[in-house]
Amino acid sequence: MHLMVEMIRSSILSATPVLLAGLGGAYTFHANVFNIAMEGMMLIGAFTAVAGSYFSGSWIMGVLSGIAGGLVAALIFAIFVVSLKTDEFVTGTALNMLALGGTTYSLRQLFHVKGAFMSHAIQSMPRWNIPLISRIPHLGPILSGHPFIVYASILLAFVVEWHIFGTRYGLRLRAVGEDARAVDSVGVSSDRIKAQAIIASGVLCGLAGAYLSLGYVTLFSENMSNGRGWIALAVIILTRGRPMGLLLMSLVFGLFDGLGLSLQGTIIPPQFTQMVPYIATIVALYFYSREKRSARGGKETPTT
Amino acid sequence: MKKQVLPALIGIVVALLAGLLILWAQGYPPLESYAALFSYSLFSKFAFFSTLDKATPLILTGLSAAVGFGSNCVNLGQPGQFLIGAMAVTAFGIAVDLPAGLMIPLSILVALVAGACWSGIAAGLRRRFKMDEFITTLMLNFIADYFTLYLISGPMLDKRMYSPLTPMTNPGAWLPIWNGFGSAFLVAVAAFAVVSVLWNRSKIGYEWRAMGQNPIFSRTGGCRNDAAYVWAMLLSGALAGLAGGLMIMGGMQHRFVKGIGANYAWDGVMIAIVANNNMIATGLYALFFSVIQTGSMGMELETSVPSEFSLVLQAIVVLFVVASRESTRVLINNITAELRMRRARGRDKGMGDGRHASNG
Repeated sequence: MHLMVEMIRSSILSATPVLLAGLGGAYTFHANVFNIAMEGMMLIGAFTAVAGSYFSGSWIMGVLSGIAGGLVAALIFAIFVVSLKTDEFVTGTALNMLALGGTTYSLRQLFHVKGAFMSHAIQSMPRWNIPLISRIPHLGPILSGHPFIVYASILLAFVVEWHIFGTRYGLRLRAVGEDARAVDSVGVSSDRIKAQAIIASGVLCGLAGAYLSLGYVTLFSENMSNGRGWIALAVIILTRGRPMGLLLMSLVFGLFDGLGLSLQGTIIPPQFTQMVPYIATIVALYFYSREKRSARGGKETPTT
Repeated sequence: MKKQVLPALIGIVVALLAGLLILWAQGYPPLESYAALFSYSLFSKFAFFSTLDKATPLILTGLSAAVGFGSNCVNLGQPGQFLIGAMAVTAFGIAVDLPAGLMIPLSILVALVAGACWSGIAAGLRRRFKMDEFITTLMLNFIADYFTLYLISGPMLDKRMYSPLTPMTNPGAWLPIWNGFGSAFLVAVAAFAVVSVLWNRSKIGYEWRAMGQNPIFSRTGGCRNDAAYVWAMLLSGALAGLAGGLMIMGGMQHRFVKGIGANYAWDGVMIAIVANNNMIATGLYALFFSVIQTGSMGMELETSVPSEFSLVLQAIVVLFVVASRESTRVLINNITAELRMRRARGRDKGMGDGRHASNG
């Protein structure tokens, strides 16, 4: 029983960054921007969050600078993709490389370390104990005592669902994704909405990064996003950008991540348990494409 | 090709200037740093040979990405294919002991096949189940990473060592080093020649290029898209696998060490992107990137700029070259549209029927 509680608890913790980045990516998904740069935005956010927290001594500044880091990355992406009309895939890949290179370089430049930076001066996010619930056996440890962003991100999933599917702005956003020129023709700038969607994704990816480096753990290490941005991208494709689906799917991935963690120390070598979330992504993609194929009535479509 | 040279040059110059600014802003002597960057990568025999050494994997991963992207296969699995290629060559080199004349060609073959198998998984999933290869290849990277880590810290661990690495391969599989010049570079050049000819002169190369431009057109035009797709994925994986294999066969180390892949695979992706999947440009950018990477060590030595600066510089080069390419294209399109509009207007005036061209 204790193992189960521990597993569910850790699955919520590891679902959060995927959920946050996924919610950000939902905006770009509906605006029809292929946002492969989420990985890089998250990594930059994780770095600037640690830097902000370390130099200011406050976790609030850390979170804010994490968001700012993601925002700057998104601005670069938006300038290139929307204003200069560069290819999204190409720009996103370059931005990911810039994030990897830039954080590695700054790690050395600012903190004079290679690999990872840990310090007592980094203020991590406070954990919230929810009164009453925290006293319920089993359920208490699962639901209570997480960094506050965990709760915020679940709430955010509902807000984003409402924003994309319940407001006029959301309607415009989805219209841009359907046909940008039609939106332009009625006097709404599709470029502007695309840029806003990219910025929204940057802010949320930055927040996801801040959670990684100040909530999930309290340190920054090279390439610490470790493919979570890409898993988020896969989850968005699997759920077709529905925030409620994202909430569910990221919990499922968190569960696999947690499964990997709890299998550690058993007979299975740790390297194999660490593979679990990535294998789960491939398996989920398999079910998704099977469903898609049967929805099309098994009709053959051009593959390439 | 000629149309691409100017934007590429503008992009490189602007990026180098941006790098200069970054160095200056951080209080490093910018010009001395750049002088060190180039003198430690080009202006001595040893420096030049180490640049060629570094270029070897970059040429191959660059080709791998260019073949993939150029034929519309989004193979982002170079890191995994690289590791699997390197691991296969290591295992082969430890298990088999033959004279070099047999060992070297066989090891190269093993690297090619191993890389192709790893990309073949993604190609198969795409063909059989229509699963997007860009996600599957990305996920396979992590699987390859953990799998090789498992092998070098468990079954293939060199027990005499204190860090995760394998024993050395048998000397038959070592590529000779002549007077400081690593012959692995020649293998990369040969691969470059073969792939260039295949890409530009063969039937399947034509199909790849057509598929890269427009898959529906190529299908309508009678190309065998499905077969061409699988072959492009396999070739792409094989090249990345060879890049990994040569890391074991060339150099001095001859063993699989944790972190052997470094950033070579992603650098290759960037090289193909800046080269716009053109084969010659891929080769040239691979050399340029290896100049930056080799020279950055000298830069650290001379003006104490952290060598990681090369990563930043590379990414800036990519962004600026791509931006300059795309914006010159938009600019040229605008100019031609403007000219056409003026001509149309002139004609209207001549005919005097009062129609106006709109100022779109």
